[in-house]
Amino acid sequence: MEGLRNDGRRWNELRRFHCQLSTSSTNSDGSSYIEQGFTKVLCNITGPAEPSSRQKVKQDSATVSCEVYFAAFSGTDRIKRGRNDKKVQELQTAIQQTFSSIILTHLFSRSEIAISIHILSQDGGTLAACINATTLALIDAGIPLKDYVCACTAGQSTSIFDSEGTSPDPWLDVNYLEESDIPSLTVATVGDSEKIVALTMENKVRIERLEGMIAVGVSGCAKVRGIMDKEVRRHGKEKLEARGE
Amino acid sequence: MPIQIIAPAPFVTAADEEDDEGGVRLDFDNEGDIAMDSDAPRRAGRQTGGIVTPGEVVTDDPQWMRGHGTYLCQSHESGSQSIVSSLAGTISKTNKLLSIRALKFRYVPEIGDLVVGRILEVQTKRWRVDIAAPHSATLLLSSINLPGGILRKRTSTDELQIRTFFSEGDLLVAEVQTLSNDGQASLHTRSLKYGKLRNGVFMMIDAGMVRRMKSHVLTMNTSNGGGEVDIYLGVNGYIYIAKHTTPLTESGGPEGKSVSITRLEEEASEAIYSNVNEEISPETRAEIARIACVIGALAKNGVKVDEEMVHLGYEAALEEFLQGMEWGGDGEMGRRVVEASLVKRREQ
Repeated sequence: MEGLRNDGRRWNELRRFHCQLSTSSTNSDGSSYIEQGFTKVLCNITGPAEPSSRQKVKQDSATVSCEVYFAAFSGTDRIKRGRNDKKVQELQTAIQQTFSSIILTHLFSRSEIAISIHILSQDGGTLAACINATTLALIDAGIPLKDYVCACTAGQSTSIFDSEGTSPDPWLDVNYLEESDIPSLTVATVGDSEKIVALTMENKVRIERLEGMIAVGVSGCAKVRGIMDKEVRRHGKEKLEARGE
Repeated sequence: MPIQIIAPAPFVTAADEEDDEGGVRLDFDNEGDIAMDSDAPRRAGRQTGGIVTPGEVVTDDPQWMRGHGTYLCQSHESGSQSIVSSLAGTISKTNKLLSIRALKFRYVPEIGDLVVGRILEVQTKRWRVDIAAPHSATLLLSSINLPGGILRKRTSTDELQIRTFFSEGDLLVAEVQTLSNDGQASLHTRSLKYGKLRNGVFMMIDAGMVRRMKSHVLTMNTSNGGGEVDIYLGVNGYIYIAKHTTPLTESGGPEGKSVSITRLEEEASEAIYSNVNEEISPETRAEIARIACVIGALAKNGVKVDEEMVHLGYEAALEEFLQGMEWGGDGEMGRRVVEASLVKRREQ
């Protein structure tokens, strides 16, 4: 079919986005679960709490720490990723740095906010899903944030050129097949502001294409924010109603 | 290039017969800029239900002061300052102070709170106690009842024997005595009401789910031969449910015979720091488990726990003939008990 991607979406269509708050009732202060297509991520927040080690103590602000666990069955091949795996560490640093700037850490001196993420299934856009899940879990934990942080991926198909030589539309929210095929980037923005807090790309792409990819990614983030905000409000309303009884 | 993002197609099951608004729009070429933000809530727009979410402008009226859960944001165009929410929760106004109460939050200690805590670490002259707050609390050796009487002076022998009073992992009930300026609490147990906990079970719920009351120590008469059961509802969400022990008051010791004041304190301190559980009958154990399940179910269903609700919930659980430890975790039965107790409360 003309103009459709291999999973039947158009260039500017997101995958099914499902999110939930307060998914685990005990042993964490906030939790969330996100499905972006077949990418499934679970996030738990502990804190602000006493830091687990002395090195993490900052006198005037909270430290944000992040642990990412890949389930061995999450990808197409069964791979066990240890704590020192390069990909795991990269994800951890990306998430930790993104959220250190968004959480109002100065309110919690000498404490630690620990983010723990379990990736249950990977189908492209893992980092984006992790960032979205962390935002929701932090909101659930009642930790003050400047705004929502929403992430989305965008890819640029290179093989298709039309006759006039104009570049084809960038693809929004790439899945695993597309991600391994074409260059793609992950972009995270703060709220509605189109302010980018995280931008990663692991492939090469022609510089003229980059702007279009970022623009599509940023617009995708705005849409994701709308969906997440709706869920937060729905969850909040439900909780208030139960309390009002 | 005006970008239009199509919302993901909702998962449609065979039973769903709604028209899917968020589905694939085939007419996206014709209309340039529709639906881009159609379901994204507008900033500064008051939503129904009274919930604000992070990043939402609460007000840009300069007459309001910002309180907890908000921050000031300078807008780029007009240069005016607006108050922006940093939490998801409800707005509360105190005169001209705007603050946001989060739906769920960690316990913040306040002076006078009754808390249940667990010893994390023993230091030379104090203990560090986990009370579910951002910082662990401290309990000084000088703020506990020492054996041999309240008025006894603290000696270096006591420092050497610090583990005989509380050691790592021990549970205790205490009161917040002072707060340091970064919110770290210092506890005291200088009353016979407070001290080490034993003969029961520990459980934790969200800190916001315990209603502040006049007294946080309840004594309940249980049925089925369970006898009396003490419930320590810590304001920090830690709860201890134990077999009732006779409080050591001036009227006499556990045996009921009157003793002199000094003698009483010797007996009291010996009993207070014991690590050995008393004999607890199976009936009492069953009732303790039932109460634990009631409190767990109340918290899980978003009903604040207080004396009245514990009593009503317990009655409802008795009527449902529920037993054992497990049903509190079971959503269905827990909900039934909570609903039954809410009906009872309305009837009163």
